[in-house]
Amino acid sequence: MLEDNPFFVLGLPADTSRIEIEREAQKLLGMLELGFADTKTYQTPLGARPRTPELVRAAVAALRDPYRRLIAELWARHAPAPTTAERATDPAEPSHPGLRRSLGWGP
Amino acid sequence: MYALPVILLTRLHQYAIDARRKNRTWHYFAWSGVAALIATVMFLLATTLVALLFYAKLWWLAIAMIGLLLLPIVGPTLVRHVLVPLGAYRLAYYLGWACRPGKDPTAYGLVAAAWAQAVKPIGAGEAWVALRRDKRIPLGDAEVIATALLAASRGDAATARLLMRSAHMLVEIHPMVRELAGEWLACDAAERGAWSEIAEDAEAARWPATPLTYFLEGVAARRLGSASAPSRRELWARWLLAPHRRHTNELRDAATPTSSETPAAHEAQTNSVDAPPPDRAPLPRAIAAHLAFSTSAPSLISLGTTVRAWDAALSDGATHGWLGRRALELDAPLGAVDRALREIATVVTDQLARIADGAQLGAPMSHGPIGDGLARRLRHGRLDNLEAGFTRWRDRQHDGEHHAAIDEWREFIALQTAYTAAITAGGAELRRLAFPHAYSTGTHMAAWLWNTRSEYALSHAISKWLLDEALAVGDTEAIELGHRNCDLYVPTRNDK
Repeated sequence: MLEDNPFFVLGLPADTSRIEIEREAQKLLGMLELGFADTKTYQTPLGARPRTPELVRAAVAALRDPYRRLIAELWARHAPAPTTAERATDPAEPSHPGLRRSLGWGP
Repeated sequence: MYALPVILLTRLHQYAIDARRKNRTWHYFAWSGVAALIATVMFLLATTLVALLFYAKLWWLAIAMIGLLLLPIVGPTLVRHVLVPLGAYRLAYYLGWACRPGKDPTAYGLVAAAWAQAVKPIGAGEAWVALRRDKRIPLGDAEVIATALLAASRGDAATARLLMRSAHMLVEIHPMVRELAGEWLACDAAERGAWSEIAEDAEAARWPATPLTYFLEGVAARRLGSASAPSRRELWARWLLAPHRRHTNELRDAATPTSSETPAAHEAQTNSVDAPPPDRAPLPRAIAAHLAFSTSAPSLISLGTTVRAWDAALSDGATHGWLGRRALELDAPLGAVDRALREIATVVTDQLARIADGAQLGAPMSHGPIGDGLARRLRHGRLDNLEAGFTRWRDRQHDGEHHAAIDEWREFIALQTAYTAAITAGGAELRRLAFPHAYSTGTHMAAWLWNTRSEYALSHAISKWLLDEALAVGDTEAIELGHRNCDLYVPTRNDK
């Protein structure tokens, strides 16, 4: 859907042609093999995710199929811009940690 | 004749304490003052008598008088301020018993021992308290609260909370034990910052208030800006009356109403976070709402916004037009548009159902591919889980697999919690569908617990819950049976 959307995995806009997709995939696979740090993650609207050669191959395969590309485009084209923010964490924290203990009620 | 003033003073002291428990107004302070005055007089008389007996070398009588006259006055204070902080569970048990608070003094002793164990947990202590608890048959509020404290001693605050609250359903009432449960719940809620929980308990007067509970209730009411909140001066009075003042003075000073903590402000904040910008087209709007719902704390408002946005997007002509055009351009197979819409609806419904189920959210009112699918999914999933839980409970009894009374209670509480969560999320329709399962198994179990295991309070609590549910769904047969079961006399240890 969004986390493993082929367009986000390849770092390409949703209107990219098939030739450009193949070229970008080959480039990414080569760079991943050489261990380029910049290629090890990709950006999604949910934050950065790790990129692997398997994910890149699966993304190219998905975009070769017209129906699967249609679905991928629907999400990628209408989603908010990818963000570098990490996954949101629960901000809820105890208001007074350790209060129960200090009021005589143990752990 | 000499015993008469002692008996009179003891009765008066008990009367003042009982009167205080029933009040949450200025009477609370008045009865606290009366109780303290009587306790001081009794203490002075008792110490004088004990000193005289020692002086007359009647030490054996002096020791008997200490146990008879002094311990009931100073016992609870010694338990709270000396034995519990030391983790002396055995001494707390025996001293709690020696305080003789009511007709069943062992109840307070048991809870005092569990309290000491909770403060300084050790394995041997837990086994010792559990052994004494299991010897007490039938199950009552003290056993449930002691078990809750044992769970707290293991760091399982969620179970402790659930069990403490469940004691409210039992007809066996030990006021001193209930006071402690109320205090634990108030301290726990204050630690989590759940001030509305404390305020709700105070409003419903669920638990008799200890001075510490009474103070925390005042703090909660002031923080929430409640109409019944005490004045600053009254809060100071409550603080002075409560123990652990060194640790509570910060709470007292911070207990001024703040706009960010009022429910209305919170709701407004939630709305502002969840609402996607209104100027977007339906599909980007739905995806933005979906992202916001998936990445922030789920709420009914954000779920409703997301579901409505998706229903609007998937029914929108622009979405269909865009899909049709792209399908043609990409040379997608025939029927790709309908298939894509179905696939998106399934994926979105799956994701939303998973999050809503985890957060126990109900299905929002929205008719469309997502709203209808989500309602169906949540209703069926929750109903299946409930049915399976009730069937397991019944099968276990049918197979002759008997558990200890406290474990039977825990199983019932777990099912009741699941049931309540499901009907809260699923609404009246789910309640009507779920009730027959709960009714058939619950009635069966209640009868078995009463007739075979003599667990009267436990059985009565199940019958009472079933009656409340029967009244809510309007099942006349169940109401009739529920009234018959609940009208039965329930023997408790307080009847002795």
